[in-house]
Parts: sequence; C-alpha cells; structure tokens
Amino acid sequence: MPIENHEKARFLLHRALVEGISLEDRRWLDAHVGQCAECGRYADLSARTVRALDWFALELDPAAALRVENVVRSRAEEMRSAEAHAKRLWIGTAVAIFLTFTGSAVTWHTLAWLASQWNLPSRVWQIGFVAFWLLPSLMLALLPLFRRTLLGGHSDSKGQTI
Amino acid sequence: MVAVVTAFSRVAEPESQCIARALRRRDSEFIGRMVSQYHYRLLRYLVYWTSRRELAEDLVQETWLRVLEHAGQYNGRLRFEPWLFSIARNLAIDHLRKQQTATQRMCREDEAGVDLPAPDFESPFFAAARSEDAKRIAAALGALEPIYREALLLRFQEELSLAEIAQVARAPISTVSSRIHRGLSMLQAALGGGADAD
Repeated sequence: MPIENHEKARFLLHRALVEGISLEDRRWLDAHVGQCAECGRYADLSARTVRALDWFALELDPAAALRVENVVRSRAEEMRSAEAHAKRLWIGTAVAIFLTFTGSAVTWHTLAWLASQWNLPSRVWQIGFVAFWLLPSLMLALLPLFRRTLLGGHSDSKGQTI
Repeated sequence: MVAVVTAFSRVAEPESQCIARALRRRDSEFIGRMVSQYHYRLLRYLVYWTSRRELAEDLVQETWLRVLEHAGQYNGRLRFEPWLFSIARNLAIDHLRKQQTATQRMCREDEAGVDLPAPDFESPFFAAARSEDAKRIAAALGALEPIYREALLLRFQEELSLAEIAQVARAPISTVSSRIHRGLSMLQAALGGGADAD
C-alpha cells in the first residue's frame, strides 16, 4: 500500500475529529482503515484520546457555586436599582429642560400680552421676564451667605424655649 | 468548511436572545439560574486555562461580574457560550500575566532565588481523571500549553465549532485547527500512540 495513503488516512482521521470530512472522504477512510491494521490502531487511538478527555470530571463544591450565584445575583440587583435611579434622574432632567423651554415661551407671550393690554413699554415687561427667571435662582444662591445668621437666630430662639 | 461558514453566520437561537434580554434587564432570578447552569463548564474551562482549581473558582465569580458589566455588548445573535468563554479567557490571561510579572519581579529582587510554590499543574487534571487513559492524558495535559488545552476542551468537551473557538481565542480558524491537531497529537503520544508531537 503506498505510503501516501497512510498519510492521507491520518490527515483525514484528524480532520474528521476536528472539523468533519465529506461523505466521499469518509467512505475512502472507512475502506482504508478496514484494510490497514496500522491506520486502524491509529483511528482507535484517536477515538480513545477524545474519549479520555470526556472522562475528566471535576468535583463541584455546591457551597462555592451557591456563593458565586448569590454574589452575582446581588450585584445584578444593585446594578438594576442604580440604573433605575439613573434613568429616573435622566427623565427628570429631560422634563425639567422641556418645562424650562415651554415655560419660558408661555411666560414670554403672557407678559407680552399683558404689556400690550396695560400699554407698558416693552423694556419694562422684558426686565420683568428676566427677573421672573433670575430672582428664584439668585435667592437660592444668596441663601448660603445668610445661612449662619439664620441658623444662629434659630438656635437662640430654641435656647429660649428650653 | 461549509459547516464552519454556517456556524459563523448562525441565526439567533431563542435561548441566546432570552439571555441577552435578561442580562440587559439585570434579571437577577434568570442570571442566578444561568450562573448555576454554566458553573461547571466555566470552572472546567478556567481550570484548563490556569491549571489551578482555587484560582479558577475565583475567576468564575469575576467572569460573571464582568458579564454583568458588559451585558450591553451581548446582543444574542450568536451563542452565549463563546462570549462567556472569551470573557473568562481575558480574565485568566490578565491574571496569569500579572502573576508572571510579579514572579519575575520577585526573582529579580532576590538573586539567591526564592522558593516559589511549584505550579499546581497536574493536580486538577489528576484529580479529575477517572481512568488509566485519563490519568496518562492528565499528565500530558498538565504539560501542554494552555492554548492547546483550551482548543481541545472547546472542541471536544464544549463541542464548539471552529468558528466559535476562533471567536473565543481571537485567532484565525486555521490557527485554531492547527492547535487542535497539535494538542491531539501530543495527547496521542502520551497514550502510547505512534503520533509525534510537532
């Protein structure tokens, strides 16, 4: 039997295990392995090698498996609640931005209409519009400056009542 | 080759889409079941990579935490296993690289030589070997480089296609095929066959 046939048989045996071979190659291989004792032994050895891999079985530690499961579960819960919180924050921000723009437009038109009803100069109601938007934030910004005074006054009054 | 191409363009299976959805929703019940379902296979893969049982157990947990972090990247179009194994693989490689750097640093610091613990190469495989053949192969597996062990495990135990293994190993299909060939040859030689390792 030509040596190339044995080489081809070994090549096909490996290939059959790794990625599969065509029907035609399978027929040729089966015929060759049936006739050639050496290639037959090689085919048995290949099959034994793969089977031996299948016989590896790790002992599982159920406690370790459960520990991992619990850690992963609780992390998933944490991430879900953090993501839900972030989602609410984004929605809140989007709503606030939307309301700011629509509110500005509505206020602008309302003030313009009122000014036309009361014959006010446009600069007056426009200053009013700016004040309407800026005053609340200015007051909030100034609040920390008076915080100490406010807190001091509060503690004094508290002291008197006790 | 046709099988490889088909596997590469595999249409989404309902299970993989369920997994992708559950991961995106952070469905802790479903994820808990998945952790339990894949625990053995992931552990075995990491043992094959690291050759250390305890390290593999730590990496299993880290793998799942990373799966949660990168859940958005899994769209369910391909099977879940290759994606899971590729995450585990990256973690194992990172860990082994850090360990190697630390060992090299220690060796440099102490020229007289440090009694580093011997690598636990054989024990996880020997412990798992249930037959004489498996014991002989255990010794050969311990001596194989992780990339060959990985290729053999993914092909013959996980039954992944070559394309899927290539996805996990981030290597061309031809490289994966050659790794499996070489790994098999080495194991056959250990079993007393006539095949020589390349």
